[in-house]
Amino acid sequence: MDLIVAFITGLTTGGLGCLAVQGGLLTSTLAHQIEQDMQAHNGAGSTHKFKPHIAQPILFFLLAKLIAYTILGYLLGAVGSVLQLTPFMQAILYFAIGIFMIGNGLRMFNVHPIFRYFVIEPPSALTRYIRRKSKNGASFFTPLLLGTLTIFLPCGVTQAMMATALGTGSPIQGAILMFSFILGTSPLFFSVAYFATRLGSAIEKYFTRIVAVTMLIMGLVQIDTGLNLSGASFSISRTVSILQAYALPAQTGRSIEVNEFGYFPQILHLPANQELTIEWVTRNTQSCARSVVVPGLEYQEILPVTGRTEFNIPPQEKGAIIRYTCSMGMYPSQFVFDLEPTETN
Amino acid sequence: MKKIFNVPDMTCPNCAMHLEGLEDEIPGVKSITASYKKLTMEVEFDETNLTIEQIILAANEIGYHPELKPS
Repeated sequence: MDLIVAFITGLTTGGLGCLAVQGGLLTSTLAHQIEQDMQAHNGAGSTHKFKPHIAQPILFFLLAKLIAYTILGYLLGAVGSVLQLTPFMQAILYFAIGIFMIGNGLRMFNVHPIFRYFVIEPPSALTRYIRRKSKNGASFFTPLLLGTLTIFLPCGVTQAMMATALGTGSPIQGAILMFSFILGTSPLFFSVAYFATRLGSAIEKYFTRIVAVTMLIMGLVQIDTGLNLSGASFSISRTVSILQAYALPAQTGRSIEVNEFGYFPQILHLPANQELTIEWVTRNTQSCARSVVVPGLEYQEILPVTGRTEFNIPPQEKGAIIRYTCSMGMYPSQFVFDLEPTETN
Repeated sequence: MKKIFNVPDMTCPNCAMHLEGLEDEIPGVKSITASYKKLTMEVEFDETNLTIEQIILAANEIGYHPELKPS
């Protein structure tokens, strides 16, 4: 793939999609820096307006991410074999991050001393080393660590790019491809994170609380994503989506339209006790819906931008429900097996 | 000599790093290990050159109020 195309993909769809999925880690980075600045500001008894120094941690976060993905691209190109977390492993990762963020949000609200254990404290020996090496102390440790961790949370478009890097079969090409793509995602990440928090500094009094509430909301979103990816029968987004779908007439047929807004129909009624072939239909589809995950059947596929992809479903008992979602845990949808068997499959 | 202090006014992990930074500032201190989780600070120092009161005073200057933990 052309490197300019990779860069532009990152700049547009990649940036937006990845911000949604990796925003949690960036929020943690900023929360860390804001707490530190707030403490320095209050400690110094300054009468100046509080202004957090967030540009630097955002840049460190993005730099770490860029380096980590470039290395990942190199490894993918070198290994040339599938290096992908299963949806279930991703779900566990999302649960862990969600719990971590909610714990941190509650810690910032001082709810209970136990939440202090949700903090990642770098070892003293490391902070001592960093402190002596740099005037800025350990302020860049957390953004660097969290930026690196984003490689474990690739969004749909990133996964597609990782698959492309794998396909190059060359470590250098894989590395350059991922570098171009992640570099493309960076301007949007920086702008959104920087200006969102600048806006916040105008209401400094409530700033820590705003960060804490953001952490709580993002934490819940991560857990909801984890629930969708694990195929759980309940999640907030699934409930909303199912309620919307039930407002429409029951849909039958054998094809699912995959577009920028998800999978349609969201609920497809199918015959029970019969082997079936479903078709995913994409028409210039750029969203993460292209990367479809059916946890119950251990099926995961990256669909072509435009095309028809067949998907075989073994016979299901009457009343069975098979849930699926995109690889980011968005667009929860389902097949319901409540029709009588037909002659054709 | 090693002494452990309770530091109830640590509010975030950076406070621990802030307190540990004192080891480069106070002559006679060998090392400081602070924990935000436990709200404590362990100081290893040379008691012939430095007193506990001087350590507390140095921490007060950067905004913390440690109390010697009863052994």
